[in-house]
Amino acid sequence: MSPAYVLKRILLIGYTLFVVSLIVFAITQILPADAAVMMLGENATPDALAALRTQMGLNNPFWMQYLHWLGGVVRGDFGISMRTNLPVAPAMLEALGRSLLLALFSILLMLAVAVPLGIVAAVRRGRAIDLGVSFLSYVGVSVPEFVTATLVVLVLADWLQWLPATGYIPLTEDLMRGLKHLVLPVLTVSMILIAHVSRMVRSELIDVLHSDYVRAARLKGLSKRQVLFKHALRNALLPTITIVALDVGYLLGGVIVVEEIFALPGIGRQLIVAIQARDLPSIQAGALIMATTYAVVNFIADIAYAWLDRRIQYD
Amino acid sequence: MPNIRRRDFLAASAALSGLAVSGLPTFAQAPRRGGTLRVSVDQAVAKLNPLVTRVNPEYLVSELLYSGLTRLKLDMSAEPDLAESWTNSADLTEWTFVLRKGVAFHDGSPCTAADVVATFEAILDPKTASPARQNVGPIAKVTAKDTTTVVFTLSAPFADLPVTIAYTNAKIVPAAVIKGGLEKLDRQAIGTGPFKLVSFEPERQVVVTRNDAYFDKARPYLDKIEVVVYPDASAEASALIAGDTDLLASTPPTEFGRLQKATAVKALRVPSGQFCNVNFGCDQKPFNDVRVRQALALTVDRTAMVDFVSEGFGSPGNDTALNPAYRFYADLPAKKPDIAKAKALLAEAGYPKGLEATLIASDRPAQRTQLAVALREMSKPAGFDIKVETMPHATYLDQVWKKGSFYVGFYNMQATADAIFSLLYTSNAAWNETRWNNAAFDKAVFEARSTIDDTKRRALYAEAQRLMNAEVPSIIPVFFNLLAAQREWVVGYQLHPRGAVFRLDHVSLGANAPKRG
Repeated sequence: MSPAYVLKRILLIGYTLFVVSLIVFAITQILPADAAVMMLGENATPDALAALRTQMGLNNPFWMQYLHWLGGVVRGDFGISMRTNLPVAPAMLEALGRSLLLALFSILLMLAVAVPLGIVAAVRRGRAIDLGVSFLSYVGVSVPEFVTATLVVLVLADWLQWLPATGYIPLTEDLMRGLKHLVLPVLTVSMILIAHVSRMVRSELIDVLHSDYVRAARLKGLSKRQVLFKHALRNALLPTITIVALDVGYLLGGVIVVEEIFALPGIGRQLIVAIQARDLPSIQAGALIMATTYAVVNFIADIAYAWLDRRIQYD
Repeated sequence: MPNIRRRDFLAASAALSGLAVSGLPTFAQAPRRGGTLRVSVDQAVAKLNPLVTRVNPEYLVSELLYSGLTRLKLDMSAEPDLAESWTNSADLTEWTFVLRKGVAFHDGSPCTAADVVATFEAILDPKTASPARQNVGPIAKVTAKDTTTVVFTLSAPFADLPVTIAYTNAKIVPAAVIKGGLEKLDRQAIGTGPFKLVSFEPERQVVVTRNDAYFDKARPYLDKIEVVVYPDASAEASALIAGDTDLLASTPPTEFGRLQKATAVKALRVPSGQFCNVNFGCDQKPFNDVRVRQALALTVDRTAMVDFVSEGFGSPGNDTALNPAYRFYADLPAKKPDIAKAKALLAEAGYPKGLEATLIASDRPAQRTQLAVALREMSKPAGFDIKVETMPHATYLDQVWKKGSFYVGFYNMQATADAIFSLLYTSNAAWNETRWNNAAFDKAVFEARSTIDDTKRRALYAEAQRLMNAEVPSIIPVFFNLLAAQREWVVGYQLHPRGAVFRLDHVSLGANAPKRG
């Protein structure tokens, strides 16, 4: 993998983000109602609307609003939220931090559970344990988050009262309370991740276990354990990287329902609130942050691929 | 005086829950001082600047940090806040307010008449974009007579001024801040309120601590209040049931049943003037014919509507904008469904074969659609063929609201009869959605606002309500209860019918309340 290739990819990410910002801005123009209308709702009198629009700079033409915003971004200024009057960037980054925390713990838990489950299921293929794992992962994949979330709250918080029902406490404010508040959302999110990653690991491993080189290794006289962990697993786990990369994208923005139920003000919820309020600077910042994460994580996954599997070449 | 009301309330609630005997000893005690109250709200506290707040959670916080000249009691009358007393000129065009002496802002600077004048000038300045501007009354000029006397000169006689200046956004801020730029208040709070700001995270929580320099020596009773944001209603209810929070500011009917059943939780409800209605464009066919509007109103089974639209947490409406939560409510005979008469009226109006119409309902809140669907079914037997069109709220606000001639509205309670009438139903109403433009109604409302005598005002407002009831500019079939809940250890909280008023400085914690950080 050449440095030129890496540079090219980074430039491409920059270009992607520019296009994303343009598309998002254009879409917000098509949406019915603007920030002033949404904020005033059924409190709007014509002069109140006019005053608010002037205050928000909504009277300028579309391209001027966009250029004004772009000019700010180039100077590192993402603008002022129309909803809160506060700078957009710190609020969005803070929300991203909360989402990252949820993502990190969920992925760790997922790896710790899903990989062993997948291995056991593949090795004991067709036996009771495999069927059990398969059944549970079907359940995990098909039950939507809001059901899982409500169930864990009901059982672990309402009935057993082991954990706080919802709410988010920054770890820096109170480590123990913060961790306790994270348990239920992490549990909810990782159930889905575990379900599909364990299925993925299982099927990849089954494929690999039937491949010629594994048979050769077995015929050479290696023990089952050696074949599994030294040869088969390495290859079988490679596609998991792609899945994890996609999951990071899902966790940073796709878990709005979970963020909503657990009152965890992450980036996804922040973006929804911004869209509902037609808060342009926040919408733009949120969309850019999510696009950047997707692009960067995929980039890292590609590089990790090449590094782990020398047969893969990029140019 | 607040003490007496608190005791009445305690006695009443204790008697209701059958705790009269065991609860007795606590009556004599003064509210306990100290402790942290955790209140949950259902949406972000996006704005801190009290002049531009727009949603209930923001009002809750600004009420803790700031004071107005007056404040709204539970019966919708005004009580002193920063103003100690007030008088009016005989013609009701000049009101004089006398301020408390020795009140200081959180930064230590004194709060005087100059600050009040500067605040009201900022509110009335269109550039501030304060919602208070349309709601504080017909104020032409505000002047400081001396450091503790403020004179309001009005552009028309107005009897409700002490109540209207209790408006949620009419909070007094320092003149120096206004001069230096109001954006200072986006992040910090410099008020005279019972609490001072500790921290502010719009999407998560706002923390305030007791203002020891508050002008009332006894209040507030609490040391600290944490206002926590729970965007999901059922998660918010779970947090209260699990004891993570002490007070839940508002909750939908869907969660209320669960809260009623929970142990050590007290579910709260109060009838409010909040209503859902069907607006007619009274200047357009077919609804310009009063008989068509009356016919449709006669198809509505209002008791069934309450069950269906408010899940039982409401009361039937009578097509007038007032209900018993308002001070000048007139008790008119309740309308009952009469399909035969509706059919006759429709035929008389020239629609013997029935009438087709498309009723538009926004998807937020869900009650709008429920009302539309119920009306469609109830009106069928009389020959109405109503198509219900549901649309996203943003599209509705953009394309239908104030423009359409047959759609479902949803309105919060206002502080006065005048406010709701002149917002929606007079010819010069700010929104005038119905274009009813009834001269007799206008006259009654105008005379009532120019009269101070309560008996005369009551008669005038009764006439206004009679006209609405008879001519049906809009069908108002149901008024909602406001719903909330608290832990039993929360003492002295009374749910306010206005919805936007909380009075948490009257709240204290019982001996069995948990210790919170």
